[in-house]
Amino acid sequence: MEKMGFGNVTSTSKTIKTIDIEKKISVLIVEDDLLIQKIHKVIMTKFGTEVQLAANGKEVVDLFLSGASFDLILTDLEMPIMDGIEATKQLRSMGVTSMIVGVTSRNQDSEMQAFMKSGPNACYVKPLNAEKVTAVLNELKNN
Amino acid sequence: MDRNKQHRQVALMRQSLFDQGLLDEQFVQLEELQDEANPNFVEEVVTLFYRDSARLILNIDQALDKSPLDFAKLDSYMHQFKGSASSIGAKKVKSECTLFREYCKAGNGEGCKRTFQQLKKEYALLRKKVETYFQLARQVGPVETACRSK
Repeated sequence: MEKMGFGNVTSTSKTIKTIDIEKKISVLIVEDDLLIQKIHKVIMTKFGTEVQLAANGKEVVDLFLSGASFDLILTDLEMPIMDGIEATKQLRSMGVTSMIVGVTSRNQDSEMQAFMKSGPNACYVKPLNAEKVTAVLNELKNN
Repeated sequence: MDRNKQHRQVALMRQSLFDQGLLDEQFVQLEELQDEANPNFVEEVVTLFYRDSARLILNIDQALDKSPLDFAKLDSYMHQFKGSASSIGAKKVKSECTLFREYCKAGNGEGCKRTFQQLKKEYALLRKKVETYFQLARQVGPVETACRSK
Protein backbone atom coordinates (compact mmCIF):
# COMPACT_ATOMS: atom_id res chain seq x y z
CA MET A 1 0.00 0.00 0.00
CA GLU A 2 1.47 3.36 -1.02
CA LYS A 3 -0.25 5.50 1.56
CA MET A 4 -3.05 6.13 3.98
CA GLY A 5 -3.29 9.79 3.17
CA PHE A 6 -5.32 12.50 1.65
CA GLY A 7 -7.01 12.26 -1.76
CA ASN A 8 -5.54 10.46 -4.73
CA VAL A 9 -1.79 10.67 -5.09
CA THR A 10 -0.52 9.75 -8.53
CA SER A 11 2.86 8.10 -8.84
CA THR A 12 4.99 11.05 -9.92
CA SER A 13 4.93 14.80 -9.95
CA LYS A 14 7.20 16.81 -12.19
CA THR A 15 6.90 20.19 -10.52
CA ILE A 16 6.68 21.55 -7.04
CA LYS A 17 3.42 23.42 -6.63
CA THR A 18 3.50 26.45 -4.36
CA ILE A 19 0.76 26.53 -1.77
CA ASP A 20 -0.73 29.91 -1.06
CA ILE A 21 -0.78 30.01 2.73
CA GLU A 22 -1.53 32.87 5.04
CA LYS A 23 1.09 32.06 7.65
CA LYS A 24 4.17 29.91 7.69
CA ILE A 25 3.32 26.41 8.70
CA SER A 26 5.63 25.04 11.38
CA VAL A 27 6.81 21.52 10.73
CA LEU A 28 8.66 19.10 12.95
CA ILE A 29 10.51 16.41 11.02
CA VAL A 30 11.14 13.37 13.18
CA GLU A 31 13.72 11.12 11.55
CA ASP A 32 16.87 9.34 12.70
CA ASP A 33 18.34 8.80 9.22
CA LEU A 34 20.41 11.84 8.20
CA LEU A 35 19.86 11.24 4.49
CA ILE A 36 16.07 11.21 4.80
CA GLN A 37 16.21 14.09 7.28
CA LYS A 38 18.08 16.20 4.71
CA ILE A 39 15.69 15.40 1.87
CA HIS A 40 12.58 16.02 3.92
CA LYS A 41 13.98 19.24 5.37
CA VAL A 42 14.74 20.66 1.93
CA ILE A 43 11.43 19.63 0.45
CA MET A 44 9.43 21.12 3.32
CA THR A 45 11.50 24.32 3.27
CA LYS A 46 10.87 24.63 -0.45
CA PHE A 47 7.16 24.53 0.28
CA GLY A 48 7.63 27.59 2.48
CA THR A 49 7.28 25.92 5.85
CA GLU A 50 9.41 26.49 8.93
CA VAL A 51 11.24 23.31 9.75
CA GLN A 52 12.67 21.91 12.95
CA LEU A 53 14.30 18.51 13.31
CA ALA A 54 14.11 15.75 15.91
CA ALA A 55 15.94 12.43 15.82
CA ASN A 56 13.46 10.21 17.65
CA GLY A 57 10.05 10.07 19.31
CA LYS A 58 11.32 10.99 22.77
CA GLU A 59 12.74 14.28 21.47
CA VAL A 60 9.30 15.09 20.06
CA VAL A 61 7.50 14.37 23.30
CA ASP A 62 10.08 16.38 25.26
CA LEU A 63 9.65 19.31 22.87
CA PHE A 64 5.90 19.38 23.46
CA LEU A 65 6.35 18.96 27.21
CA SER A 66 8.63 22.01 27.16
CA GLY A 67 5.86 24.06 25.55
CA ALA A 68 6.78 23.86 21.87
CA SER A 69 4.05 23.42 19.31
CA PHE A 70 3.96 22.63 15.61
CA ASP A 71 1.24 22.67 12.98
CA LEU A 72 2.54 19.48 11.40
CA ILE A 73 4.66 16.56 12.61
CA LEU A 74 6.20 14.35 9.94
CA THR A 75 7.43 11.26 11.68
CA ASP A 76 9.35 8.17 10.73
CA LEU A 77 7.93 5.07 12.33
CA GLU A 78 11.08 3.14 13.16
CA MET A 79 13.45 5.08 15.35
CA PRO A 80 15.67 4.28 18.32
CA ILE A 81 14.73 5.22 21.90
CA MET A 82 11.07 5.88 21.00
CA ASP A 83 9.42 4.98 17.70
CA GLY A 84 6.76 6.91 15.78
CA ILE A 85 3.88 4.79 17.01
CA GLU A 86 4.70 5.28 20.69
CA ALA A 87 5.44 8.97 20.19
CA THR A 88 2.07 9.48 18.46
CA LYS A 89 0.23 7.66 21.25
CA GLN A 90 1.91 9.82 23.88
CA LEU A 91 1.30 13.07 22.00
CA ARG A 92 -2.38 12.31 21.56
CA SER A 93 -2.75 11.32 25.20
CA MET A 94 -1.14 14.67 26.10
CA GLY A 95 -3.89 16.38 24.10
CA VAL A 96 -1.68 17.39 21.17
CA THR A 97 -3.92 18.13 18.19
CA SER A 98 -1.19 18.90 15.63
CA MET A 99 -1.49 17.08 12.34
CA ILE A 100 0.66 13.98 12.58
CA VAL A 101 1.73 12.26 9.36
CA GLY A 102 3.80 9.10 9.37
CA VAL A 103 6.45 8.51 6.72
CA THR A 104 7.68 4.94 6.56
CA SER A 105 9.83 2.66 4.45
CA ARG A 106 7.54 -0.18 5.32
CA ASN A 107 4.54 -0.50 3.02
CA GLN A 108 2.86 -3.49 4.63
CA ASP A 109 -0.82 -2.98 5.39
CA SER A 110 -0.44 -4.46 8.87
CA GLU A 111 2.31 -2.02 9.81
CA MET A 112 0.43 0.99 8.54
CA GLN A 113 -2.72 -0.21 10.30
CA ALA A 114 -0.78 -0.50 13.56
CA PHE A 115 0.48 3.04 13.17
CA MET A 116 -2.96 4.43 12.25
CA LYS A 117 -4.36 3.01 15.51
CA SER A 118 -2.04 5.30 17.47
CA GLY A 119 -3.93 8.36 16.25
CA PRO A 120 -2.12 10.07 13.36
CA ASN A 121 -3.85 11.78 10.46
CA ALA A 122 -2.15 9.91 7.64
CA CYS A 123 0.76 7.72 6.68
CA TYR A 124 2.85 7.71 3.52
CA VAL A 125 5.58 5.48 2.16
CA LYS A 126 9.01 7.10 1.92
CA PRO A 127 10.32 9.12 0.37
CA LEU A 128 8.13 12.19 0.45
CA ASN A 129 7.69 13.90 -2.87
CA ALA A 130 6.05 17.11 -4.03
CA GLU A 131 2.73 15.45 -4.63
CA LYS A 132 2.46 13.91 -1.17
CA VAL A 133 3.53 17.14 0.50
CA THR A 134 0.94 19.09 -1.50
CA ALA A 135 -1.78 16.71 -0.34
CA VAL A 136 -0.70 17.07 3.29
CA LEU A 137 -0.44 20.86 3.22
CA ASN A 138 -3.77 21.20 1.43
CA GLU A 139 -5.40 19.07 4.12
CA LEU A 140 -3.76 21.18 6.82
CA LYS A 141 -4.91 24.38 5.17
CA ASN A 142 -8.46 23.09 4.82
CA ASN A 143 -8.60 22.17 8.50
CA MET B 1 35.47 20.71 -26.99
CA ASP B 2 33.05 23.63 -27.13
CA ARG B 3 30.66 24.31 -24.26
CA ASN B 4 27.54 23.11 -26.08
CA LYS B 5 29.17 19.80 -26.89
CA GLN B 6 30.29 19.44 -23.28
CA HIS B 7 26.79 20.12 -21.99
CA ARG B 8 25.39 17.58 -24.44
CA GLN B 9 27.90 15.04 -23.18
CA VAL B 10 26.80 15.66 -19.58
CA ALA B 11 23.14 15.37 -20.59
CA LEU B 12 23.79 12.11 -22.45
CA MET B 13 25.71 10.71 -19.53
CA ARG B 14 22.87 11.64 -17.19
CA GLN B 15 20.29 10.05 -19.48
CA SER B 16 22.31 6.84 -19.68
CA LEU B 17 22.01 6.45 -15.90
CA PHE B 18 18.23 6.22 -16.37
CA ASP B 19 18.34 4.20 -19.60
CA GLN B 20 20.55 1.58 -17.93
CA GLY B 21 18.07 1.30 -15.09
CA LEU B 22 20.54 2.55 -12.51
CA LEU B 23 18.41 5.50 -11.43
CA ASP B 24 14.68 6.19 -11.30
CA GLU B 25 12.31 9.14 -10.95
CA GLN B 26 13.33 9.76 -7.34
CA PHE B 27 16.69 11.08 -8.59
CA VAL B 28 14.82 13.59 -10.74
CA GLN B 29 12.86 14.66 -7.65
CA LEU B 30 16.16 15.35 -5.88
CA GLU B 31 17.42 17.36 -8.85
CA GLU B 32 14.26 19.44 -8.70
CA LEU B 33 14.99 20.28 -5.07
CA GLN B 34 18.42 21.67 -5.96
CA ASP B 35 18.49 25.44 -6.28
CA GLU B 36 20.55 28.50 -5.32
CA ALA B 37 19.79 27.91 -1.63
CA ASN B 38 20.97 24.28 -1.93
CA PRO B 39 23.35 24.32 -4.94
CA ASN B 40 25.02 20.97 -4.17
CA PHE B 41 21.99 19.22 -2.75
CA VAL B 42 22.04 16.17 -5.02
CA GLU B 43 25.72 15.45 -4.48
CA GLU B 44 25.36 15.97 -0.73
CA VAL B 45 22.48 13.51 -0.56
CA VAL B 46 24.31 10.96 -2.71
CA THR B 47 27.37 11.34 -0.48
CA LEU B 48 25.21 10.58 2.55
CA PHE B 49 23.95 7.52 0.70
CA TYR B 50 27.55 6.32 0.15
CA ARG B 51 28.25 6.80 3.85
CA ASP B 52 25.11 4.90 4.90
CA SER B 53 25.88 2.16 2.37
CA ALA B 54 29.47 1.64 3.50
CA ARG B 55 28.31 1.12 7.08
CA LEU B 56 25.47 -1.20 6.10
CA ILE B 57 27.59 -3.26 3.69
CA LEU B 58 30.11 -3.84 6.49
CA ASN B 59 27.36 -4.81 8.94
CA ILE B 60 25.73 -7.19 6.47
CA ASP B 61 29.06 -8.77 5.49
CA GLN B 62 29.79 -9.44 9.16
CA ALA B 63 26.29 -10.76 9.79
CA LEU B 64 26.53 -13.12 6.79
CA ASP B 65 29.73 -14.57 8.23
CA LYS B 66 27.99 -15.70 11.38
CA SER B 67 26.45 -19.09 11.88
CA PRO B 68 23.58 -19.60 12.24
CA LEU B 69 22.41 -16.58 10.26
CA ASP B 70 20.25 -14.06 12.10
CA PHE B 71 17.68 -13.40 9.37
CA ALA B 72 15.84 -10.81 11.45
CA LYS B 73 19.01 -8.76 11.84
CA LEU B 74 19.91 -9.18 8.16
CA ASP B 75 16.42 -8.09 7.18
CA SER B 76 16.65 -5.05 9.43
CA TYR B 77 19.97 -3.97 7.87
CA MET B 78 18.63 -4.49 4.39
CA HIS B 79 15.49 -2.56 5.22
CA GLN B 80 17.70 0.42 6.07
CA PHE B 81 19.73 -0.08 2.90
CA LYS B 82 16.60 -0.23 0.80
CA GLY B 83 15.33 2.96 2.41
CA SER B 84 18.52 4.82 1.54
CA ALA B 85 18.62 3.42 -1.98
CA SER B 86 14.99 4.43 -2.56
CA SER B 87 15.72 7.94 -1.34
CA ILE B 88 18.25 8.63 -4.08
CA GLY B 89 16.50 6.60 -6.77
CA ALA B 90 19.07 3.80 -6.91
CA LYS B 91 16.78 1.48 -8.84
CA LYS B 92 18.87 -1.65 -9.36
CA VAL B 93 20.32 -1.51 -5.85
CA LYS B 94 16.79 -1.21 -4.48
CA SER B 95 15.70 -4.30 -6.48
CA GLU B 96 18.53 -6.37 -5.05
CA CYS B 97 17.58 -5.18 -1.55
CA THR B 98 14.00 -6.38 -2.15
CA LEU B 99 15.23 -9.77 -3.39
CA PHE B 100 17.56 -10.14 -0.41
CA ARG B 101 14.69 -9.47 1.99
CA GLU B 102 12.61 -12.13 0.27
CA TYR B 103 15.40 -14.63 0.86
CA CYS B 104 15.56 -13.52 4.50
CA LYS B 105 11.84 -14.15 4.91
CA ALA B 106 12.31 -17.58 3.35
CA GLY B 107 15.28 -18.30 5.62
CA ASN B 108 17.43 -18.94 2.55
CA GLY B 109 21.01 -18.18 3.54
CA GLU B 110 22.57 -19.10 0.21
CA GLY B 111 20.07 -16.88 -1.58
CA CYS B 112 20.95 -14.02 0.75
CA LYS B 113 24.68 -14.44 0.15
CA ARG B 114 24.30 -14.71 -3.61
CA THR B 115 22.03 -11.67 -3.78
CA PHE B 116 24.31 -9.64 -1.56
CA GLN B 117 27.24 -10.24 -3.93
CA GLN B 118 25.10 -9.00 -6.80
CA LEU B 119 23.95 -6.03 -4.73
CA LYS B 120 27.55 -5.02 -4.04
CA LYS B 121 28.29 -5.19 -7.77
CA GLU B 122 25.29 -3.03 -8.61
CA TYR B 123 26.23 -0.57 -5.88
CA ALA B 124 29.84 -0.34 -7.12
CA LEU B 125 28.69 0.19 -10.70
CA LEU B 126 26.20 2.88 -9.67
CA ARG B 127 28.76 4.66 -7.55
CA LYS B 128 31.36 4.64 -10.34
CA LYS B 129 28.95 5.96 -12.98
CA VAL B 130 27.37 8.59 -10.77
CA GLU B 131 30.74 9.86 -9.58
CA THR B 132 31.93 10.12 -13.19
CA TYR B 133 28.76 12.03 -14.06
CA PHE B 134 29.11 14.46 -11.15
CA GLN B 135 32.79 14.98 -11.96
CA LEU B 136 32.03 15.85 -15.58
CA ALA B 137 29.08 18.05 -14.57
CA ARG B 138 31.31 19.98 -12.15
CA GLN B 139 34.00 20.45 -14.82
CA VAL B 140 31.54 21.66 -17.42
CA GLY B 141 29.61 23.89 -15.04
CA PRO B 142 25.94 24.85 -15.15
CA VAL B 143 24.06 25.48 -18.38
CA GLU B 144 23.94 29.23 -18.99
CA THR B 145 20.39 30.49 -19.46
CA ALA B 146 19.73 32.97 -22.25
CA CYS B 147 19.08 36.55 -21.16
CA ARG B 148 17.00 39.01 -23.08
CA SER B 149 19.07 42.11 -23.83
CA LYS B 150 17.72 45.35 -22.35
